[in-house]
Amino acid sequence: MDDRRRRFAELHSIFERELHEHRRALIGWGAGLVAYAAVMLASFTAVRDNHEISKLLGSYPKAFRDMFGITDYASGPGYLRAEIFSLVGPLLIIILAVLWGSDVTAGEEERGTLDILMANPVSRRRVVAEKWAAVAVGVTLVTAVFGLVIGLGAPVVGMRVPTADLVAVLVATDLIAILFATVALALAAASGRRAIARGVAAVLAVASYLASSLAELVGWLRPVRPFSPWYHALGIDPLTVGFAPWHLALLVGLVAAFAVLAAVSFERRDLAV
Amino acid sequence: MRARPRPAVAAGARRTVGPPVVEMEKVSKRYRGGGGIEDVTLEVGPGEVFGFLGPNGAGKTTTIRLLLDLIRPDRGTIRLFGLDPRRDGVAVRRRLGYLPGDLVLYDRLSARELLSHFAHLRKGPSWEAIASLCERFDLEVDRPIRSLSKGNRQKVGLVQALMGMPELLLLDEPTSGLDPIVQHELHSSLRQLALEGTTVFLSSHVLSEVEQVADRVGMIRAGRVAAVERVDELRSRSVHLVDVRTAAPIDPAAFSALPGVARLDVVDHSAHLEIAGSLGPLIGELAGMEVTELSVREPDLEEIFLSFYARPRAAPTGSRREEHDRGRP
Repeated sequence: MDDRRRRFAELHSIFERELHEHRRALIGWGAGLVAYAAVMLASFTAVRDNHEISKLLGSYPKAFRDMFGITDYASGPGYLRAEIFSLVGPLLIIILAVLWGSDVTAGEEERGTLDILMANPVSRRRVVAEKWAAVAVGVTLVTAVFGLVIGLGAPVVGMRVPTADLVAVLVATDLIAILFATVALALAAASGRRAIARGVAAVLAVASYLASSLAELVGWLRPVRPFSPWYHALGIDPLTVGFAPWHLALLVGLVAAFAVLAAVSFERRDLAV
Repeated sequence: MRARPRPAVAAGARRTVGPPVVEMEKVSKRYRGGGGIEDVTLEVGPGEVFGFLGPNGAGKTTTIRLLLDLIRPDRGTIRLFGLDPRRDGVAVRRRLGYLPGDLVLYDRLSARELLSHFAHLRKGPSWEAIASLCERFDLEVDRPIRSLSKGNRQKVGLVQALMGMPELLLLDEPTSGLDPIVQHELHSSLRQLALEGTTVFLSSHVLSEVEQVADRVGMIRAGRVAAVERVDELRSRSVHLVDVRTAAPIDPAAFSALPGVARLDVVDHSAHLEIAGSLGPLIGELAGMEVTELSVREPDLEEIFLSFYARPRAAPTGSRREEHDRGRP
């Protein structure tokens, strides 16, 4: 083995190892999202030029159209909102985030590698912090690749999307995915069980989506909507309104709160019993 | 494996000085599902090799995981190097090396990646130092760990425990899965390290292993420390289990007069004896008989516990003092 490869093979921080161990998963999810974005973009011209579809969609009740983010299907932002960012795109990234977030401490506990890791002179807080950072960076990378394909592909299919709005919706998607990764991490750090962390985080993600989008249809859900992180990320429609600093700040605050919760509960527990 | 000559050290010849490295006082830890330890009090001095002996499930791993602050005691106090393993966890763990009993490594990494990762976390040993340890244990470092045999994984575990030049080594069943040659290499490494001042806390369910390397041994059973003994003391009290069959019926009187006989059952042509100390007098006695079968074995751990602690101390052991020195090389 030559020197260059050998140096490359050396790992250093827990952060690096966390990313290194998930590199295949990242490449897989990234490729899947790229394919999904490409298919969605490729069908844009067909949908835009087909007046039957527009007429059909126009015949749906307004509340229904609002719920699925269908307003102006033929415009770039309208199409992206309805087809990608109202549910499926963010959902795919959130699934990656929750699976990974639930695995970082509880996975090592369940597999049995945590004992030997924690015998090193590192604090539990540092382990949580470095692994959280790796998840955040990994999820951001995947989201960035997804966004890059949409941003570069849009002009090719004749779709016009303001760059600032596209970046705004990607930042919102990234933040909500990191939030649910952090929720899963906090649950995993407190319980030591991946299944619990995944299940509860997934239920919370779905609930927050429903509370945000169903509120368009169901009047009594309106007062609940401000408690849904999904509303603050995507419900406010960043593809139209652009950056919404207060909403994003709220999400950042939630991420910080759950990260602290994760570190504190991990510090107080008996590990891997 | 290069067999380097090592200075022969009589166990117990070392004197330990300075404050204890490991202190546990009335430490209890109960698990919800049962098990754990109760009122464990132990002290291990600097440079001492302490063998922690007990059957599986007795609480050996629980004790070691408490020392590492992986789990916290319900009651009692623990000090390592005089520090609290919880409050000063990072400082404490910088000075120790650990080999888990149930060793699970990062399967997707190679040994080189794992070792360089841990070396980085320890801000410690250079790759050259690690490589020489790997060479000593004859470890292939560039294959993924999942493709290594159980014994080779154990070697990775040993190298990561030893590589930081720790002041304290916590080894939970370190020789499980190792072939005898590597076991021997490990035992001599441990003796060498102890000579250089490293404290070793080694758990095992194999008496002979503890006998070979330890200065003192603590016996744990069902979560309680049953006894702490010097190994030379333990040896002097160790018994042999002897089964004899002869052509002619046996007269019990022939054996009952022998020194060190702790138990004697005679049925017709066969006899079962427990003898403390030397076997010489018995062999002398047997020389005059027509022996058809003879087996001598060391008692297992459970039998030692029974013979030493479950029974009153009135067992006939009067002659063991003068016998035990002759019995050892």
